[in-house]
Amino acid sequence: MRYSKDITYGKVNTDILKILEKPGKIYYFLLFIVLSVLSVGVFAWVYQIYSGIGVAGITHPVAWGIYITNFVFWVGIAHSGTLISAILYLFRVSWRNSIYRSAEAMTVFAIMTAGLFPIIHLGRSWYFYYLVPYPSQTMLWPNFRSPLIWDVFAVTTYFIISFIFLYMGLLPDIAAVRDKAKGFKKKIYSLISLGWSGTDREWRHHSSAYLFLAAMATPLVVSVHSVVSWDFAMSIVPGWHSTIFAPYFVAGAIHSGLAMVLTLLIPLRKVFKLEEYITQKHFENLAKIIIFTGLIVAYSYATEFFIAWYSNNIYEQEIYKYRVIGDYALYFWIMVIFNTIVPLLFFFKKMRTSTVSLLIISILINIGMWFERLVIIVTSLAHEYIPFSWGLYRPTWVEIAILAGGFAFFALLFLLFVKVLPAVSISEIKEQIEPPRKGES
Amino acid sequence: MRFSLSRRNFLKMLGFGSASTALSSCSSEPIDKIIPYLIPPEEAVPGIADWYATLCRECPSGCGLLAKIREGRPIKVEGNPHHPVNRGGLCMRGQASLQSLFNPDRIRTPMIKRESGDFQTISWKDAEKEILDILKTKIDQQKTGEIAVITPLIKGSLERLLKKWMDAFHIKNHLIYEPISYEDIKEANRIVFSKAEIPLYSIEKAEMILSFGADFLETWISPVEYSKAFGNMKRVDIKRQLIYIGQRMSLTAANADEWISLKPGTEKALILGLIHFILKEKLHSDLPFLELELIKGLVKDFSLDRVSSHTGVSQQTIERIGKEFSKANPGLALGGGIAVKGLYATDISVAVNLLNYICGNIGRTVRFGHEIGIGRVNPYRDMLRLIESIEQSRLKVLLLYNVNLMYNLPDSSGFQEAIKRIPHVISISQFMDDTAKEANLIIPSSMSFEEWGDYMPRKGVFGLQQPVIKPLFESRGFGDILLSLVRSIDEKQKGQIPWNNFHDYLKNSWKGIHKDLSPEIGFDHFWEGSLRRGGVFRAETDKEVKLSTKVSLDSKIDLKDKEDEKSSTLLLYPSIKYFDGRGANKPLLQEISDPLSKIAWDTYLEMNPETAVALKVVEGDFVSVESKDGRMELPVHIYEGIRKDVVAVPLGLGHIEYGRYAKQRGVNPINLLSKKTEEISGGVIWSPIFVKIERINKKKSLASTQGGRRQFGRGIAQALFFSIGKGILHLKTEKDIKKEIKEGKKRDMYKPHPYPEHKWGMVIDLNACIGCSACVAACYMENNIGIVGEREVIRGREMEWIRIEKYVENKGNGLDIRFVPMLCQHCENAPCEPVCPVYAAYHNPEGLNAQIYNRCVGTRYCSNNCPYKVRRFNWFSHSWPEPLNWQLNPDVTVREVGVMEKCTFCIQRIREKKEVAKEEGRRLRDGEIIPACAQTCPTEAIVFGDLKDPKSRVSKLWNSQRGYRVLEEINTKPSVVYLKKIKREI
Repeated sequence: MRYSKDITYGKVNTDILKILEKPGKIYYFLLFIVLSVLSVGVFAWVYQIYSGIGVAGITHPVAWGIYITNFVFWVGIAHSGTLISAILYLFRVSWRNSIYRSAEAMTVFAIMTAGLFPIIHLGRSWYFYYLVPYPSQTMLWPNFRSPLIWDVFAVTTYFIISFIFLYMGLLPDIAAVRDKAKGFKKKIYSLISLGWSGTDREWRHHSSAYLFLAAMATPLVVSVHSVVSWDFAMSIVPGWHSTIFAPYFVAGAIHSGLAMVLTLLIPLRKVFKLEEYITQKHFENLAKIIIFTGLIVAYSYATEFFIAWYSNNIYEQEIYKYRVIGDYALYFWIMVIFNTIVPLLFFFKKMRTSTVSLLIISILINIGMWFERLVIIVTSLAHEYIPFSWGLYRPTWVEIAILAGGFAFFALLFLLFVKVLPAVSISEIKEQIEPPRKGES
Repeated sequence: MRFSLSRRNFLKMLGFGSASTALSSCSSEPIDKIIPYLIPPEEAVPGIADWYATLCRECPSGCGLLAKIREGRPIKVEGNPHHPVNRGGLCMRGQASLQSLFNPDRIRTPMIKRESGDFQTISWKDAEKEILDILKTKIDQQKTGEIAVITPLIKGSLERLLKKWMDAFHIKNHLIYEPISYEDIKEANRIVFSKAEIPLYSIEKAEMILSFGADFLETWISPVEYSKAFGNMKRVDIKRQLIYIGQRMSLTAANADEWISLKPGTEKALILGLIHFILKEKLHSDLPFLELELIKGLVKDFSLDRVSSHTGVSQQTIERIGKEFSKANPGLALGGGIAVKGLYATDISVAVNLLNYICGNIGRTVRFGHEIGIGRVNPYRDMLRLIESIEQSRLKVLLLYNVNLMYNLPDSSGFQEAIKRIPHVISISQFMDDTAKEANLIIPSSMSFEEWGDYMPRKGVFGLQQPVIKPLFESRGFGDILLSLVRSIDEKQKGQIPWNNFHDYLKNSWKGIHKDLSPEIGFDHFWEGSLRRGGVFRAETDKEVKLSTKVSLDSKIDLKDKEDEKSSTLLLYPSIKYFDGRGANKPLLQEISDPLSKIAWDTYLEMNPETAVALKVVEGDFVSVESKDGRMELPVHIYEGIRKDVVAVPLGLGHIEYGRYAKQRGVNPINLLSKKTEEISGGVIWSPIFVKIERINKKKSLASTQGGRRQFGRGIAQALFFSIGKGILHLKTEKDIKKEIKEGKKRDMYKPHPYPEHKWGMVIDLNACIGCSACVAACYMENNIGIVGEREVIRGREMEWIRIEKYVENKGNGLDIRFVPMLCQHCENAPCEPVCPVYAAYHNPEGLNAQIYNRCVGTRYCSNNCPYKVRRFNWFSHSWPEPLNWQLNPDVTVREVGVMEKCTFCIQRIREKKEVAKEEGRRLRDGEIIPACAQTCPTEAIVFGDLKDPKSRVSKLWNSQRGYRVLEEINTKPSVVYLKKIKREI
């Protein structure tokens, strides 16, 4: 990745550490909105615990709704962060350097957001710890055959690895901030920079650790969302019980995650004037990968339908018919058009290079992917084996508030991150430019 | 720092420390208010239930009950197996009767109405004084003709006491009022057989039943008795059939082999046409020549072509029915249902009698001499006369006992206005219903569970009712009230009525029965035996009847009233849930969905889909329905089982008062009835009511528990078709069964579960299930299942552990409705078990799929994975307003919010009986453990038992040729086998 000649080490530090300066009015305004929405979401959750989970719209037979949709959605988004930071690192793809930091942060925050929802959707949230394997007085361990327990392990592992990976990459940058910081902040940054002094020995250990962590994180990209998809594939519910779910979900996860990366980076780049670091080429590359994942998702949809028809299983066939023309047909068509047709616009160079179209298409893809999770969950449960039990799902204000609260939580974390830690990797950009000569900065 | 402690100081500190620790645990607060029995009654062991025999008084059928008492409270009622009316079965209203006893809206104290219109509590002494003042004044003024007493049917000692009491007070006017009565049948029997009574119908013996609108599986005369008989009838021979003729497919018609729809008001023509055909073809039984000519004369105008064009029923159908019915040995024709109680109700019953007579059924399936109690009810005509006397100020005092006249009499009768003119209305009732609200003085009467009594539904059946709990509030039994009032009048009268309380009177009254039935044993022995058994029962011999020479009926064929072509006919029918309205204050009856419409908590207008399209209404849209006498607005329910020109509304809701569950809910269609009475019998004209229907701009979501209406080939409710020539088609052969067993084993990846001792299984016979939902009610009462209310039922959150699924098929015979009781199948390969993250769903060593409530965190994955969708989640915590919570079963946990629950095969009953067997050192007997649903089923459709016992009933039925399991192909291996329904191919 070639940056322009006039970017020096000093300039990199200055430009990127400028992001961490005291925020302006707009930032505070955004923070205020995010906190308001988050407080509405928190209120809704407290109200739900107080009154009972019945205040949500879930019912018989659709016992899972917006909460599980959110869970799967956020876990999915997390994956492409790790794709960019770990997998592209192993492939020595140089253009990842300026964008991977935000992407990896997005991963950690997405997992944190996702981790809230399994607790929110429980009927008795206060007993959530029954799902954690701890030696209890009752001598009961959780049921390791259940996909939900696999989720616990997968998501926890993913969070731990991603967090350590992020932290590891951040270390040199935290040191850079520490060097520029003053007063109380300097003390904090000194603490979390773990005494990084940039010696040769430290750099050697750092790169091998980083490589090691990247290698550990790589299989997680495929495995975590496969495990989450098995929440569905391991059941007997028609429309869920399909072997394509693991690759289908992983592809969808990368698809939505890349779109979310775009959604985050485009404003970040504009506001903090990072055009020299996050260039048009970066966005174009992301857009090209999105085309690829979009095509895989389209293939998955087609395969599902084909297998449903081919199987001659009346329950499967009925589900797919219901998805296309049934009560939730609108959601289904949003899903198909936004996920498979809209990304094809990226075939046109003009679409890939204009930041406006990139932003809009990335938001549409995320909307489409959210609806995909909703369609999979709700349509299958609404229309299962026993026709007498068919029913509809109507979300209530509590679920919508918590949905918005989830987005607000994620946004809050990212907003705070941007002002506290460098959103672009200083050290890795420096790897791509000429080191300073003696006397230069 | 050195710390020196002498031994002395150490001991001081030790003593002080332990003393203060001990003291701190002594609080000044009193310890828990558990007060065990100081000297417990001999039989009462806490934790072990006592059973007492008593009676159900939720309708005039008079079924016998066994009440299960725990710690002094009745928590469950079951049918009394010794009682000849219900023989152990009990309908949903009977199961819900404890909610009448423990209803939070019962009247607790006597009340008097002040000038402001509000009620004020007064003491019993004052209340009695008020009544006595009124009565004594009237006696002194010699105007006791101005007093009227209205009661429901209270046959037995209470009625005798009431007569004596009325004599003591010189009161002459007593009306027995039942909203649903059968005057037309009684009159018709008087006309045809010179016997004014309602006969006993032997449904069990009939080879073919022709029901002309008689809903005997729902509310007609004695539904539990007839349901049981129907179940038995079908078990004897599959060739036995029921044909239902009416404008609406009622529950009875849905269980019939054929539903014949005919134009409203033309039933008489059809029956007489059948008689005409049978006589013409000489298919009748041996009859004397004169009688033959008499009947022939009555039906001479009713030739088949005229009848066919008049009724809309094809000639072939009438001929076929005529041939088959006359061949039936014996057959049974039933009439007198509310659907045919119209302008010509008596004539229709006369025609039914003649049809039975010419086919030789009288004396075989229609039996006289049993004095069915409901025949003694005063007809509507008498009520109108009463209202007239009120209007003419000839009636000044009205004493009402357990009747809701304001609700059950139509507005057109004028009662609602008239009652306001009566200076003294004394209401002796249990609930503040629409009538009690109009009273000046309200006396709380005890519920049947709180008082002594007896009831003779028919001759030879002496049911004995004993109290099973002390009155919860300040109520008293009606008998006790009467006796207490009598004590305050002069000695001469007192001499006639020397008893202090009703128990003494009852016992004395039974001395007469004792002398009659069992003089050889001592009275005390007889009395105790009757108490244990729930009464004394003796088979009565029939009385022979002869055809009267004066038989007559209106022989004109064109009998329809003038009607507007554009109007529809409104059909009212008593709901199986609310009966005539009395069930509306019980939340359980509101919550269970109606067996046919699957709608709860509301009134609705049943409308044919084509009519709905013409009116541009869909399910839930409101329409206004206007007759000559009234108007109502209510939502529409689309139902294929009703004619295009007919609409129907179930009775039972629309109370203005009557407690929190019934108040202002639904509409009361009785207000659309006219004042006219049927000429001969004086009964209410229930049909036809001509109405204009218009769409109005209002809609609501009906609380329906039904999702999809059809099966889409999924084989959930399966049937076998059978025709006389070919036998049963597609019946499994022995070879098929063996093959199935073998293949079932091959499909397993894992070893089968070992069941060391027992393996519980259930067989449900769909041929016997009539869809009445009594099992649903019993399950609710046994298992403390929460009532969620209308709003939650609309969202689909009803908690039915067992539900009756209804599917509509359109096979050859036309509308084919199938009922499937769906409950937890306790699968051997349960899909719910591996997916629960916390092991709350687990497979117990006896084959049950058990749910551990306190382990459940509420992820709801199990309910997603259950293909039968029998797992119900507690979306909220449920509440039982006092004293409804007194009914809760202490053997079953009450679940809190966030916990999944489902049918447990009544594991508490299994445990209980296992312990009993263990203590007695013996094996469990087949039939000893019976879950609540199986116990109450009137047709005995559910069989439960141990599959490891090859001699158990369930094992014998398990590999039946009619057997199948729902969704067998997904290999869940359910422990419930269904036996396919047998349907006739016409």
